[in-house]
Formats: sequence, structure tokens, C-alpha cells
Amino acid sequence: MIDGRAIWTRNAVPKHSQYGESLRRFKGIEYRRWDPNRSKLGAALTRARQTQYELLPEPGDTCLYLGAGHGTSLSHLHDHVCGESNREKGRIIAIDLSPRCLRDLIHMSKKRPGLVPVLGDARKHSAWGIMVANRVDWLLQDVSQAGQADIFISAVHRFLKPGGKGLLSLKAASERWSGEGERAVFDAVAEQLEQAGLTIVERIDLHGLEDNHCLYYITN
Amino acid sequence: MWLWYDWRAAAVADDAGNILDQEEWDGWGNTDEVCNRMDIIAHSAFTPEAERLLERFPDAQPRIHGDGELPNANWPLPSSEALSALDKAAKLLSKRGVDAAAGDPDRRLEHLSRASEELRASYVTLEGRLVEWVGLFLPEARFERDRAGLARKAAEANSLSDLAETLDVSMPEQGPSEKEWKALNDWAHSVGEIKTRLERMEDSIRELASSHLPSLSILLGPLLASRLCVEAHGRARLARLPAGTMQILGAEKAFFNHLKTGAPSPKHGHIFMHPWISRSPRWVRGKIARTIAAKATIAARCDEFGGEIWNEDNVRPIEERVETIRAENPQPPRR
Repeated sequence: MIDGRAIWTRNAVPKHSQYGESLRRFKGIEYRRWDPNRSKLGAALTRARQTQYELLPEPGDTCLYLGAGHGTSLSHLHDHVCGESNREKGRIIAIDLSPRCLRDLIHMSKKRPGLVPVLGDARKHSAWGIMVANRVDWLLQDVSQAGQADIFISAVHRFLKPGGKGLLSLKAASERWSGEGERAVFDAVAEQLEQAGLTIVERIDLHGLEDNHCLYYITN
Repeated sequence: MWLWYDWRAAAVADDAGNILDQEEWDGWGNTDEVCNRMDIIAHSAFTPEAERLLERFPDAQPRIHGDGELPNANWPLPSSEALSALDKAAKLLSKRGVDAAAGDPDRRLEHLSRASEELRASYVTLEGRLVEWVGLFLPEARFERDRAGLARKAAEANSLSDLAETLDVSMPEQGPSEKEWKALNDWAHSVGEIKTRLERMEDSIRELASSHLPSLSILLGPLLASRLCVEAHGRARLARLPAGTMQILGAEKAFFNHLKTGAPSPKHGHIFMHPWISRSPRWVRGKIARTIAAKATIAARCDEFGGEIWNEDNVRPIEERVETIRAENPQPPRR
């Protein structure tokens, strides 16, 4: 699904463009272009040096997405994990706090079976944790709140299967500014993750595609 | 001994993970029922199954599914059919949550307030042009006192001479052509229409703000109260602001300029709209703004946290205080 520089995912809703991205048919199968400028996960896939597609879950996995937003990354993730009419039998639980975003996600979930939108605060597991009946294979957190690393660590401990993949998209501007620049913030978070017993597989700086952001790929 | 439970089952096991007893619920075909159970769990309460087991095993320590303290055991986890019923319920719950957002007065006020700002901006432009336009043809006419009435008069007039008669001025030698007059007349119609729409919109803001922020509305007037609420991103945040922030809410640009360059600090933000401030002499405005902002934070907190709703009696002493400040400072300070 890679073509030169661009990434493409097989469109689970044929002939439908989710957020204005381009569609292209290749050997009778329609693909959607994954815009790395709009999606942090897409940016990480473009920027990763050692891992690239290992970042993504396997088709058919159960995934948890904290801070789904308007569903740009989520739609591509769904293409990959569930596919058309959920042929891969995947399951994605998408949590977001804002009713405005959930409105878009609910519309999307009608066309994309396997996608479960949940209205809730990523920090408050007790309110929606029960929706995640079994531990998940893959977890992505993309929230812009202070203490992102703490939220991520507790979510990994609570929801991620041993040996699962966890991705933390960290926005430096949401953390307390120590005055030493974003590099210092990124280093401090890396240390915090390792102290919590997580292994950082790769740390991907998204500079240029998504400024002041860094994506950590970890396993537990 | 441990009591494990999730939304559809509960089980008791000893520390080694041997299941002693379990209860399951099979009513998950009904999505509404599943939603009710999600509510129970979201409020950290026990499901009926967990309660029954807890009666039988009062020593068991109840822990929800996923809790780190639970021992490994063969817990009665849901089947894939039950899981898809859960997904359905999750979607329904989210939909309800999104629907509930429509009842959120903060969001409704935000749309109303921003819309009326936009409408007012276009009203001022359109009305300004109408005055200039009519003034070009009828240079003798003066509308300082009745600018709003001009739109109505120009819309009702059949021709320029008709309008000149209504305004009691003489006709110029060079008048507009038939089509040009028609265009001017249409313009006057739209000015009048926008005025009506604006009034309707502000009425609905007044209504909503008076119910959402009754105390603050009594003190500052509903329009200013709603503007502050929108600027603070909701009543919950407004009620938590310190008075100093309330005072300069809406003057962020001047405030950050002050921090950056050391320029004089702003004395008032949106609160300047209040006649106690805007109708006062320049040198007491800061003092009055400080007093009103301090009282406004209290009023906002009364509204948010269910305090006693203010009435005229609460406002009168504040008005007296404002009068005192004015009386104490009749002259501008000397430098």
C-alpha cells in the first residue's frame, strides 16, 4: 500500500472520500491517500526510520483510540483493521471528549462497521472502561491535555495486552513548559515511560508534518 | 476472596483463582437494558448479579473487570455475540450523549452570541451606507437623531421625492434614475429586515441568559452576561475565574501586549459595555471596573453552584458603591 512517498489504504467505503483525500483505483481495488499533514499516525508512518508498518495493528485486531478527534486517522485505521463491511472482524473503540467530534464519528460508524465511538474522558477509565471488555492489541493516544504521559501509562497498564503495541502522540505545547525547549519535554517523557516499565521501540519526531509533536512507539 | 464483575456477569473466586460461584445475565438482547447497566457501572455501582453474589459472599472484595488486583481466573467473559450487543449499546450511549449536548445552554449561547455579533457588524455597515447614500441625494437631510427610522422611511417611500417629502427637505436637481432608486429602496428594505432579525436574536439571548445566568444578568444585563460566558468558554469556567480575569476578559490583546512590552495594563474588557463604566469619566473607569468585576464573579458563582439568585436588592448597594467612587473622584488625577 505504499507508492513512492504516499501511503494508501484500501477504501472500506468505496467511492467515498472521508475528509477530501484523493481516491485511486489500482488493479480494480480502490485506495485512499493517507495525508501525513492531517494525521499524526500518517505522519509517523512517513517519518519512522526503523519500524514503519509495524506501527499499525494487524487486520482483525482490537484497537483502542483515545482522542479520536474528527476521525481522520481513525478512518484509515478502520480501512486497515476492519476493511469493507468489517471483513477482517476487527474492532476499534474510539474515545473522545467532545460531543462535536462524536457527532462526526457516529456518522462515520454507520458506514464503517467495527467502529465503536464512545463519548468519554480519556482520563476517566471507570466511565467507559467496561466497553473495553478484553485487553486490546493496539492502543493509540492522541489527547492534548497536561499529563499526557500519565494518562497513557495508566491506559497501557489497564487496557493493553502483554506484548501489545502502544503509541503515544505527544504534543509538547500541552505539557508544562520548563523553558528548555521541546527536546527537554520529549526526553523527560521518554524517561517517564521507561520508568513505568515500558520499552520504547522507536521515538518519531513529527517535526515538519506536525510541529511540536513526537510519537512514541512502545511495547509492554 | 475476590468478587469479579462486569456489565453482564459476576463471579467469586479465591486467591488461587478457583471460581466458587458465578451469576450471568442474558438480557443483553435489549440494547436499552445494556445501556442502563453501563450507567450503573459508570456511576461505580454494582450490577444486580454482583449484588446477589455479594450477599452470598460478604467477605469477597468486589473489583471491576480489568482491575489489577484481581487474580488470574477463568472469569465468565462475554461471548462475541454479547460483545457486539455491547458495541451497539456503546453507540447508542454516545448518540444520547451527543443529543444531550443540544440542551447545553453554553453551546447555545455561544452560537447565538457569535451570530448576533456577526449580524450587528453587517447591520452597522449596511446602515452606514444607507445614510451616506440618502445623504448624497438629499444633502439637506439630517438623521443623527433617527438613523434607525431612516431605513423604514426609505423603504416605505415610493420615490425619492416621496422620501424628501417625509423628511421635509427639498429635492435636488439631479436625482437617481428609476432603477437606481429601486436599488436604494431594496437596500433600505434589507437594513430594516436585518434590524428586525437582530432584535429577535438579542431577545432570545436575553431569554436564555436570564435563565442560565440569572444573577449575572441582573447585575450586568443579559447581553453582557452572555458575552462574558461565551468568552470564558462556558459558565463552569466563568464561575472559576478570578475577578481580575473577569475584569479584562475580552481585552486579551491589550493584556498580553502589556505583559510583553510593559504598556499600560487594560482596565476593562467586555465589561466596559456596562453603562456604569462606559458612561463614567475616564479616570474612574478602572476603579469601577474592578468593583463590578469582583461582584460579577460572585454572581457567576451563585449561578453555577446553585446559590441564591440575585435580585435588585443585591444590585443596589453595588450601584451605591459605584456612585461613591464617582463622587470621591470628581477631578482627573494630576500628574
